[in-house]
Amino acid sequence: MASSFYGVEDQVQAIWVYLEHRDGSLENVSLEMLSEGRVLADQMGWPLVALLLGHSVENLCQDAFIYGADQVWLAEHKLLENFTIEGYTSAIYQIFLQSKPSVVFLGATHDGRDLAGRLAVRLRTGLNADCTGLRIDPDTGVLICEVSGFGGGVLALIEMQTHRPQMATVRPGVFSMRQTTSTPSKTIIRPTFTIEPEDIYTKYIERIEGDYVDLTGSTVLIAGGRGIDGDFQMLDALAQLLNGEIGATRPPVDDGYIERERQIGQTGVVCSPRLTICCGISGAFHFVVGIEKADTVIAINKDPKAPIFDHADYCIVGDVKQIVPKLIDALKTKV
Amino acid sequence: MTRQTKEETTIENEQPQPAIIIDDDVWEQLIDLTDGAAALCYQCGTCTAACPWGQFTNLDLSVRTFLRQAQIGVFQASEALWLCTTCAQCQPLCPRGVNIVDVFRAIRTLAWQNRTVAEGLPSILWSLYWNDNPWSQPPSQRSAWAGDIAIPQFNAQEHEILLYVGCTSSYDSRAQQIALALVQILRAAGIQFGYLGNLEPCCGEAVLNLGNRPYFEEIRAKTAAVFTQHGVTDLVVISPHCYDVFKNHYNTISKTIQVQHYTQFLTQLLEEGRLRFSRSINKQVTYQDPCYLGRHNAEYAAARTIIDHLPGVEFREMSRNREDGLCCGGGGGRMWLETPAGERFADHRVKEALETKAQILATACPFCAVCLEDSAKNLGQTELEIMDIAELARLGIE
Repeated sequence: MASSFYGVEDQVQAIWVYLEHRDGSLENVSLEMLSEGRVLADQMGWPLVALLLGHSVENLCQDAFIYGADQVWLAEHKLLENFTIEGYTSAIYQIFLQSKPSVVFLGATHDGRDLAGRLAVRLRTGLNADCTGLRIDPDTGVLICEVSGFGGGVLALIEMQTHRPQMATVRPGVFSMRQTTSTPSKTIIRPTFTIEPEDIYTKYIERIEGDYVDLTGSTVLIAGGRGIDGDFQMLDALAQLLNGEIGATRPPVDDGYIERERQIGQTGVVCSPRLTICCGISGAFHFVVGIEKADTVIAINKDPKAPIFDHADYCIVGDVKQIVPKLIDALKTKV
Repeated sequence: MTRQTKEETTIENEQPQPAIIIDDDVWEQLIDLTDGAAALCYQCGTCTAACPWGQFTNLDLSVRTFLRQAQIGVFQASEALWLCTTCAQCQPLCPRGVNIVDVFRAIRTLAWQNRTVAEGLPSILWSLYWNDNPWSQPPSQRSAWAGDIAIPQFNAQEHEILLYVGCTSSYDSRAQQIALALVQILRAAGIQFGYLGNLEPCCGEAVLNLGNRPYFEEIRAKTAAVFTQHGVTDLVVISPHCYDVFKNHYNTISKTIQVQHYTQFLTQLLEEGRLRFSRSINKQVTYQDPCYLGRHNAEYAAARTIIDHLPGVEFREMSRNREDGLCCGGGGGRMWLETPAGERFADHRVKEALETKAQILATACPFCAVCLEDSAKNLGQTELEIMDIAELARLGIE
């Protein structure tokens, strides 16, 4: 095994979080990582460092401080205005060789995964992908990442003993966002790095957001089955109040009530939300496979023998068309 | 700018692409994988005409084209390749006796090598790798379905047969009912049997029919070793898919282990007088021939014998039966791929069953049961009950 460019002796003990931003604000996963990073940093007595790349993005530093960063390393350059894998990899690589962080977190997003893989190879270190839990051994400073998966059958704890930085991509929606109560030092550091137009092969033309929905990252999922008779407006109202997405079993998709991208299950999307509310879903096996990784499942069905109740944490026996509107009303009064 | 100019020049000088590329290596590999099965084909096209995709849906599967490509050594990535349910509807009609399913498996093997498999299929193989089942379910939960009924771990000295449950009947809540029913029947007949519980390995059917031949061989070696280690001599399986794999694709154990589908075993028990049905059912029943019991293994009689023995059952054949029986659409890896609404074989099969005016559509395969029940629900059919033969037979015992 090749050794990394710097090792345990040369590392600077700090927790680094790579910040992703879009349309002038930081992505939720970045704030989640800062919040969790703050907890770990306090335990270890290390600084929490945010890494922000872009062009004219200094105003975002404030948010990073609010969510707990002690320092922001701000790399601004015209060529970093839009995310390109070549430009961002090159800049961060140079920054890491200067700063030698011991721990680095990136969001397990499309860009984050792309970037983390390249950086890990370039730095000759390892990468713990799609982590759902993070700890640091107080004695050794070794990061312990929890990686779950393979149908929930395996939970792996992964440590990187000698390679640095200890890199991890963190699954969005796993950690909660918390603004900090302490008053961090709020330092902005502008590192030096070079980047030339010919380093970047990706030609940025236009950013278009498709209609495509990606349910895999949603934290709240409101799923409807045959029992809602195509009334996804009702579910959408509930989803909006809970900041969630709507999904469906196969029959409503077949009947054209909802687009196929929102089909949950073996031949649809397998998702891992923190909360799923299953409305009028009987619980066929090929659907259940799609929500097994959910933290909390609430099922509403009028048939007390519906198999969905075997997979639910909270079982509500009753007519979904009566219960959901009441739930919506209750949430509205609370909000 | 220089880069752009270069590209433009290349495009101008580019030769027109050939329509097909004949590759000797592909040809040799296909010969090797299929024992030259496609060579016999004289391109009459009966296979394409017989294929249910062409007969019942708007999706095209030109079976003949794939056979031609296999004959001359052409591999082209294609979505249609993954449509084949390996139902073998084409085979009994082929005037040259080509093993067409084998040819499709072989072309799929090439697709794995070329990394052009349908989306979602690699994760099935990963599930097998990590969980020893294609359903992404935890191996520790494999025997959870049998939680309350205390089936003993198989012991070659004490047990007449090893009951092989299979992945689908272990995990799918619908298919679990089939396993539970069969256990009750075996107990009523006083059969000494055991199972392997959480240690039960996967037969590898999904991998074989999705065409990842090297990985299938790995699974086969591992699973055969488990059977040998437990001293298994008589295996009774629930799924016709597992049955076919053990019977026809496990060359290492097929000589030492007698493999029976449970309908065959129950028929044997009926003939020996060890199993008797005493309760009258009083229903009209029709029967769906599972492809891997019927066309692949010519077993049409066993399930019908059981139905015949059930008091009060009036049996009605569907117009398409035995060799002509229509596939449910779940074979060949299609259980893990989406089929658009309106293009599902099972929808047609349910309609054919309704034409017989039967109250029960019986089958003897977990995939059939799941697909048919889904279609019956989708069509809003509440009168037609989908039952596995095991569930039906259970009604006949006290």
